[in-house]
Amino acid sequence: MAEAVSPTTSEKPKAPRIGVYVCHCGTNIAGSIDINAVKEYAKTLPNVAVVDDYQYMCSTPGQGKIETAIKEQGLTGIVVAACSPRLHEPTFRTATKEGGLNPFRFEMANIREQNSWVHMHDQAGATEKAKDAVRIAVAKATLLEDLYPKTVPVEHAAMVVGAGVAGMQAALDLANSGIKTYLIEKAPTIGGRMSQLDKTFPTLDCSQCILTPKMVDVGRSENIVLMVNAEVEEVQGYIGNFDVTIRRKATGVLSPKEAEARGIVGGGCTGCGDCAPVCPVTKPNIFEMGMAPRKAIYIYHPQVVPLLYTIDWDACVKCGLCVEACGTKQAIDLEMKDELVQVKVGTVILATGYEVFPIENKEEWGYKRYENVISSLEFERLICASGPTGGHLVRPSDGATPKRIAFVLCAGSRDSTGVGKAYCSRFCCMYSLKHAHQIMEKIPGAVPYIFYMDIRSFGKAYEEFYYRIQDEGAKFIRGRVSNIQEDPDTKNLRVYAEDTLLGRPMEIEVDMVVLAAAVQPTELTNKTRKLFGVSCSQDGWLLEAHPKLNPCGTTTAGVFVAGACQSPKDIPDSVASAEGAASAASIPIHRGEVELEPYYAMCVEDKCAGCGMCVNLCPYSALALVEKDGRTVMQVTEAKCKGCGTCGGFCPGGAIWMNHFATPQIVAQIDAFLLGGEQ
Amino acid sequence: MNADRKYAFYLGCIAPNRYPGSEAASIRTSKKLGIDLVPLEGASCCPAPGAFGSIDLNVWYAMAARNIVLAEQKGLDIALVCNGCYKSIYEVNHKLKHDKALREGVNEVLKEIDMEFKGTIDVWHLGELLYDPEIVGVEKIRESVKVPLKGVKIAVHYGCHLLKPKKERHLGSTENPMWVEELVEALGAETVQYRNKMQCCGAGGGVRGYDLAHALDITNEKLTNMVEAGAEAVVDLCPFCQLQFDRGQIEIEEKFGIKYDMPVFHYAELLGLAQGMNPSELALDLHAINTEPFLKKVL
Repeated sequence: MAEAVSPTTSEKPKAPRIGVYVCHCGTNIAGSIDINAVKEYAKTLPNVAVVDDYQYMCSTPGQGKIETAIKEQGLTGIVVAACSPRLHEPTFRTATKEGGLNPFRFEMANIREQNSWVHMHDQAGATEKAKDAVRIAVAKATLLEDLYPKTVPVEHAAMVVGAGVAGMQAALDLANSGIKTYLIEKAPTIGGRMSQLDKTFPTLDCSQCILTPKMVDVGRSENIVLMVNAEVEEVQGYIGNFDVTIRRKATGVLSPKEAEARGIVGGGCTGCGDCAPVCPVTKPNIFEMGMAPRKAIYIYHPQVVPLLYTIDWDACVKCGLCVEACGTKQAIDLEMKDELVQVKVGTVILATGYEVFPIENKEEWGYKRYENVISSLEFERLICASGPTGGHLVRPSDGATPKRIAFVLCAGSRDSTGVGKAYCSRFCCMYSLKHAHQIMEKIPGAVPYIFYMDIRSFGKAYEEFYYRIQDEGAKFIRGRVSNIQEDPDTKNLRVYAEDTLLGRPMEIEVDMVVLAAAVQPTELTNKTRKLFGVSCSQDGWLLEAHPKLNPCGTTTAGVFVAGACQSPKDIPDSVASAEGAASAASIPIHRGEVELEPYYAMCVEDKCAGCGMCVNLCPYSALALVEKDGRTVMQVTEAKCKGCGTCGGFCPGGAIWMNHFATPQIVAQIDAFLLGGEQ
Repeated sequence: MNADRKYAFYLGCIAPNRYPGSEAASIRTSKKLGIDLVPLEGASCCPAPGAFGSIDLNVWYAMAARNIVLAEQKGLDIALVCNGCYKSIYEVNHKLKHDKALREGVNEVLKEIDMEFKGTIDVWHLGELLYDPEIVGVEKIRESVKVPLKGVKIAVHYGCHLLKPKKERHLGSTENPMWVEELVEALGAETVQYRNKMQCCGAGGGVRGYDLAHALDITNEKLTNMVEAGAEAVVDLCPFCQLQFDRGQIEIEEKFGIKYDMPVFHYAELLGLAQGMNPSELALDLHAINTEPFLKKVL
């Protein structure tokens, strides 16, 4: 094939001298790979000038070896055979740089995750594979070139998607550190799931009481631009410079500001509520889990922020009675259309929350078939003083007060039948304990029967709360409920389970069953994550960059995750992760610029025929055709390019040079693998 | 009119021996609905899933596979009328089709009698054929009715092996199925929903053989629940369940002194009545519980 020549190299490079370092990683690598054999082999490879090993190459002495050898032996490239580059590539690049080489003169051979850990029982095979990996890395290191990261300025603004407790906290933190923050919420009010809860465990604080001040803070913050009834429509750009298009759904109602912009003096929605009583259409209020009515023009509840009514277009008959009732405020516009808003932000936090698993899929418990089998969120609304029953827990079938209530934990969680979710939903044990406390407190003589697998009370003061509920008299039965049967006359429920502590089947009759349903990622989360190029794990939760060491970041630079969209989280954990994400998201903004990895594509203009095939292939819209010296050639917007190589692999003329993954480098690696040390 | 669909009819043991009328009814009623049931000659016991499967799975696999191969050799899908047979033959067919190691093991055994399981046919319960709109369907059954069974309330018993384990079946809801009710209502009868509908008849899993008193206790509870809901007859899709409900009532009377006089029918028998077969063709006199009062009411 034609010899590709790097467009950055003008002078002939000096003869390559490569240093190879083999890491023991304690016994992680040395336990299954013969380090000495790999070292001896490395010495036979072309261009290798230094071979060494160390217990932990990532330690200070390990890095010191690299730095010293570069200085004393005049090395041109470094190979470390150790763990995955995801873990320590930055460490060794720094060491390479400290030694005086360009940091991109470093290449890593993964002999741990992809070798010693998977071939623990085959030392000979693992050692041979390690030799292959080292040979391939040396071949690439020989051809590595100096690269220089570019810096780009960062827009002094951020965006938070989702205004539940996590999104609100993240937005407040960003705003309080002086960053203009766009807070995008799909619902007509902020507050999220937490605003639906009655009390919080283990402190038994009223959820609304502790949440409302935060909601008010968000509403008042000068740095927060709040958009409710809004969804992210399109995302362009990269860290520091995201161009986001937001769809603001037509609510049919003007805020005072919007009214003013239309020249209606002193007009706009004041939340007076004159419109709803005259509306002839009644629908179930989803905030109340459908257990209370609302009109076609409505608010979720009296404490909504912003206090603006919204029209449900699917329900509205456009009779105009509300327009009349609104009068001179002229806040209602029945012809309002969706609006697309463009904003530019430096970083983004996704805080899109969770939804409840459709627990009717677990047919054996009869949810939606038996009236007195309810879900935990329905319980929250029924026990809440501001809920549809004024806080009186009643049976949906007859309005009677239940005395015997069964709580089914792990309802759809930790479920290996294929119907439910394999994971633990994490907060159901604790809120079910709280539910048990609430009924014993509110209903004299009430007995909670808690059917559990294990009680997971892992948080601060949680175990103590568990003991407290035991002492208060709740009945705990360790066993999964196999079946629930309704008595057709009384609508009481017969609950069947195995008491696994006594080792025998049991059944009891109760007045009500509360299913602590599993939680799952929302549909909209999935749509939104794709717009931002964020991955998800197998179960659909958004994937963090590293589960332990980078829990708020994602693999897309500049996009962070907070709260329960990442995995089921209770309120303290959601808030903590939100503060972490806000801190991480503010760093690039406060620095004002970010370094971009120099892995972008480059056009070798002499070879480019201007065919434009690459322009259409590029998933990041980073390429364009331009006129240059009377010719049409391709041009790369380096900041947009992610170095994926799609264009480079396709270009019919070989006119695209992929920095750090250049064709000659990759060919050398393949040759080294296929031809052994003979290349 | 399209040619009849032909199936190898796997008779089982209880239907031909205890309730021969249901065997006759299965063949004659389905003929009117475009299904030709050709008895599978040379078939052995399915074998009974509880009795054989609990003791030696390999024997269970091999014997069931032999029955399947008999039908494979004729190039016909199997149809059967018993939930126990369904568990053995449907499930073994399913497992052998999907588990290569198991298939090879079973074929080692079958080699001794010059047979090989190839996995070329499907296994159907008659109820499933009747309900499937692409094969028969509720509408066609309704059209075939000559004597609508008006004015009776019927409790449906599905039987465990028909629907469970869910992962290895394809008949929908295991907790609140309604399709047999639809089949019964197509004959003009009413159905009732009763407490603990999906409970076992009491006989399955070897319980009847091992601990009759316990089995009858379960049967008694089911019958009580059916009576409470106003049922005047029981319909099932399984001769073994039918035996337990029918003969079980005599035993319940002896042991507990409770008398129900609740007639018990296989769905095929009920379909036969509705299509105009007379009670003697259906050998209803062989039922343990007198069906006369019920017949007087509907015919």
